[in-house]
Amino acid sequence: MANPSKIEHNKPTQVTEPKNKKRLTHEGKWGLIMISPYLIHFVVFIAFTLIASFYFSLSKYDMLNAPEFIGIGNYTKLVNDQVFWQALGNTVYFTVLFVPAQTILALILAVALNQQLKGLKLFRMAHFIPVISSWTVVLYVADAIFNPRFGLANTILSKIGMSQQQWLNDEMLVIPVLVVVAVWKGIGYMMVIFLAGLQNVPEDLYEAAEIEGAGVLKKFRHVTIPLISGTTFLVLVLSTITTFQAFEQIYVMTGNGGDITAAGGPNNSSMVLMLYLFQQGFAFLKMGYASAIAWVLFIILFIITLIQVKLQNKWVHYEK
Amino acid sequence: MRNPNKKRRIVSYLIIIISSCIMLTPFITAALNSLKSYKQYTAIPVEWIPNPFQWQNYVEVWKMTDLGTYGVNSLIVTVLSVAGALLSCSMVAYAFARLEFPFKNSLFIMVLGTLMIPPVVMIIPQFIIFKHMGFLDTLVPLWILEWLAQPFGIFLMRQAFLSIPKEYEEAAKLDGCSPFQTYWRIFLPMCKPQLATLTIFTFMTKWNEIMAPVIYLSSEEKFTLPIGVLSLQGAWFGKEQYLIAAALMTLIPILIVFLFTEKFFVKGASSSGLK
Repeated sequence: MANPSKIEHNKPTQVTEPKNKKRLTHEGKWGLIMISPYLIHFVVFIAFTLIASFYFSLSKYDMLNAPEFIGIGNYTKLVNDQVFWQALGNTVYFTVLFVPAQTILALILAVALNQQLKGLKLFRMAHFIPVISSWTVVLYVADAIFNPRFGLANTILSKIGMSQQQWLNDEMLVIPVLVVVAVWKGIGYMMVIFLAGLQNVPEDLYEAAEIEGAGVLKKFRHVTIPLISGTTFLVLVLSTITTFQAFEQIYVMTGNGGDITAAGGPNNSSMVLMLYLFQQGFAFLKMGYASAIAWVLFIILFIITLIQVKLQNKWVHYEK
Repeated sequence: MRNPNKKRRIVSYLIIIISSCIMLTPFITAALNSLKSYKQYTAIPVEWIPNPFQWQNYVEVWKMTDLGTYGVNSLIVTVLSVAGALLSCSMVAYAFARLEFPFKNSLFIMVLGTLMIPPVVMIIPQFIIFKHMGFLDTLVPLWILEWLAQPFGIFLMRQAFLSIPKEYEEAAKLDGCSPFQTYWRIFLPMCKPQLATLTIFTFMTKWNEIMAPVIYLSSEEKFTLPIGVLSLQGAWFGKEQYLIAAALMTLIPILIVFLFTEKFFVKGASSSGLK
């Protein structure tokens, strides 16, 4: 999009450039005043916190005494920390299950909803109710399904003659159940993003494909997928990053009334990195160690994003 | 060509109807559970329909808990956050969209860059900043950052301001308006749809937020609704159906807001995936 103000001001700035360098224009002054909230935000809450966080990660810091510099001690401790590796593994497992499942299902729903169906608004609304619910609401609503004693899931299992499950209390099942609930909660949001992408696909491309005799699947493969690859890419990057930092869901659904030290169970089988960071920092006051976890997470996310951007050139189709 | 089209629509309807049922069934089941007596709630085999419907569960839980206090706290945080986000994001976005000032482009790249920094690295230092300011166990850390312009809002509002023709600006200048007056009197009223989107998103995020309240609040009378209701779990053994009622009650305000503003909600969600 062209920036009208840019065009407008290009000429005058060129003419009065020497003067401009010395003295702030009236407009320039207002510009700086008006962005000042963001400047404060950046200096205090981003730049300063980044530096502080890095320094803490190299220190022993319990918040009662001043941080004591210990070099890379926290990081070497992390390497030998069994629970940290377990948390990293669980985080990867959660992300690998969740991101593709949600993306594919949301895309299917969006394509279905894009067929000019009657009642589109109503269907869309049904998918949005979980999106606007807090995780506390989801905790009790999901319990109606996954309660081991009288939930709907076990009732159905016993009706069809299968054995009942412990769901969130089962070490093997806890992450898959959390993923199912997370997909259920987030799918409406992602569906709407895809729907917006699909509505940008020009109708005549489908007509051209039909004339050439392409069927439903072929059209999907050769028209829809390339044209929404940009949206898909963005969705994948964003949801990978947020899923790696997932905290609220696991804290609420495994923490038994918001007890941070109890969350992540049973037996650390749903312990993820963010939760571990929280326990170490806010429950055990090991702020230095927690900061080191944060930086490891940061670096992992940075590498993932780089890889995704590199791969992007291979499969994302951009319209010229 | 008609026949495959029809088949496709039927399949689409089937997918969407099944999926809608999956979305709503847990809510309906939970709502039914919230209207049962404890004896019926724990009955095996499961009795799905409450008999009788115990509407008084909702009255009881309101009487027995501090839902009112939690609700007021949530409302304070949400209202102050929305006000802050609307004012600060629109003002910063206006400067980025319509004004020329030194380092404008580098500063805007900085906004873009901060979007890439995962919040995880900032949690602990932010906690320490607020601790030194004496804001622990107050509601301040939950809303104050919204007054300092968050990147999502800046982007949303900047796009809105960019799409307005420059003639408006020139007319305002001729009338002797300062850049701030031009923004406040002329441009801001023209961006109502985007302001609505920003309002709803901030409302939803703050009303449902759990992480920040968990970090900053320790005394029960400061709790917001999500962590207040969460803290009741476990302590209420034998009255679980009341807890479901309490949780569903916290959904009602945002559900009402959503029903009236669904259009802006969808717009905001869509714009987060497009550039």
